[in-house]
Amino acid sequence: MLELRNVQVLYDRAIEAVRDVSLSVPEGQMIALLGSNGAGKSTILKAISGVLYQEDGEIVSGSVVLDGAPLGSRSPADIVRRGLIQVPEGRALFAPLTVEENLLMGGFTRNRAEARDDIERVYALFPRVKERRHQIAGYLSGGEQQMVAIGRALMARPRMIMLDEPSLGLAPQIVDAIFDAIVDLNRSAGLTVLLVEQNAQLALDVTSYGYIIENGRIVLDGPVEALRANNDVQEFYLGMAGGERRSMRDVKHYKRRKRWLS
Amino acid sequence: MDLFLLFVSTGLVIGASYGLIAMGFALVYKATGVVNFAHGELVMLTAYVAFSLTQAFDLSFIPLMLVTIPISMLIGLALERIFIRPMLGEPVFSIVMVTIGLAVILRGVTMMIWGPDPHNLTAGVTTRVIMIGHLPFYAAQLMSIAALAICTALAWAFLRFSRIGIAMRAVAAHETAALLVGISVKRIHAIAWALSAALAAVAGVLFAMNFKLAPDLWFQGLKSFPAVILGGLDAILGSAMAGLIIGLIENLSQGYIGQGLRETSGFIVIIVVLMVRPYGLFGDKDIERV
Ligand SMILES: Nc1ncnc2c1ncn2[C@@H]1O[C@H](COP(=O)(O)OP(=O)(O)O)[C@@H](O)[C@H]1O
Ligand SMILES: [Mg+2]
Repeated sequence: MLELRNVQVLYDRAIEAVRDVSLSVPEGQMIALLGSNGAGKSTILKAISGVLYQEDGEIVSGSVVLDGAPLGSRSPADIVRRGLIQVPEGRALFAPLTVEENLLMGGFTRNRAEARDDIERVYALFPRVKERRHQIAGYLSGGEQQMVAIGRALMARPRMIMLDEPSLGLAPQIVDAIFDAIVDLNRSAGLTVLLVEQNAQLALDVTSYGYIIENGRIVLDGPVEALRANNDVQEFYLGMAGGERRSMRDVKHYKRRKRWLS
Repeated sequence: MDLFLLFVSTGLVIGASYGLIAMGFALVYKATGVVNFAHGELVMLTAYVAFSLTQAFDLSFIPLMLVTIPISMLIGLALERIFIRPMLGEPVFSIVMVTIGLAVILRGVTMMIWGPDPHNLTAGVTTRVIMIGHLPFYAAQLMSIAALAICTALAWAFLRFSRIGIAMRAVAAHETAALLVGISVKRIHAIAWALSAALAAVAGVLFAMNFKLAPDLWFQGLKSFPAVILGGLDAILGSAMAGLIIGLIENLSQGYIGQGLRETSGFIVIIVVLMVRPYGLFGDKDIERV
């Protein structure tokens, strides 16, 4: 459904944040994109959604392809209308607006009546959000805000959703509830998911295939069972081995890649 | 006591004018993050457009506004498209400089088309005095105050209940998030300019009716600045209230303390207020800015 082909991203025409990244998200699948802070995960999502220009960023080579057609320089609104939505890092709610206004804005690309109907679907998915619907979004707890952010994204009736570190700063039970909801949307509604996480443990539990990014490059990818079994992943991302954290790039990843590709 | 009431009533009239102009500033600032230094010039230009319309068609007030407002909105859209849209992505400071340049251009154009002589704009409104209690008002003065009340109510309803109005608040709150839900930020910016120009037309016509129409009308834009700052740059409804407050303060300080204070008192007040509340009286630090 979504494909990145050799994407390179520069900020300010000079800082290379993402280099030669290729990845593919097949329809109906849940795919993980893992990497530590500053690896380039959010940059990739911004590139896909067409909002890099806001930060003076630019895709200087490669392409983002949705349903077989390159997105080129389509507007963010156009990309939303084609069924691809992003839940940005840190929720990014419209803080001074009420919860219901936030949701209504999620349905901006659709007509008013459709949006009204869909608000009820979001409330059914997250009953806590319904209880809070007349409150100012900025005053909600982190978990509630994440639910509103996901609900707002669902209001666009996306076929694919990209979540940027949805677990960040949330209590484990809340994370479970949120991940359950996403898995459910994937299973029952066929929603395609690209899950960006620093927390590999969580992400590998719910996805089927994962990419690992470091310093702007994909250093490893494979089915989650294979990633779990990989010693380096265990050491650096699942925290199974002791010792100081090194970068996976220190290890000869050349060989490792070959192993996954064979 | 009667003297006091007279100061209050005239203060409310000039305050209504400040309020209408300040709302126009705040609307563009809230939606786009740019202080439009050409707003006073837009107030002047739209008043002159209305003047030409009355010359050509002899329209009375309501029909005059019904024609002037759409024309003004088109002017606002055109200015945004020609001067501001190409600056998208540039630093806010550069865009503000463009509005200052635009202000100078609009002043020149107005002077070129309509000349330096002052005109009267009556729009068929009676010049008889109307007594409200013990206070004498001209009809045009009452219309100013009523216009401020109506525009404030409309702005409130627009920002609360209309999709575009809510989207405008969403863009103000988080521009990237607005893009990510599919709101066309460019369109919201254009709409803000159009609506701000509509407010400018209401302010300009009423000011010209109450005082006079002359090529120095743009200066009312600067004189409304204390109201803009007092209200909180991004507080559209707050600006309306702040306009009235500044109008009252100016008139009372002139009446009781001395002539010279009229111009300065507003600015003294904002300096004091900003020391206490840097985000204005009604602007909020980060939550809710309507
Ligand atoms: N707006 C920006 N301007 C310049 N550099 C940036 C900008 N945003 C991110 N970067 C840089 O790009 C790299 C990747 O950042 P990011 O995509 O946010 O990483 P992640 O989401 O994986 O934590 C980092 O080195 C970061 O410093
Ligand atoms: Mg990130």
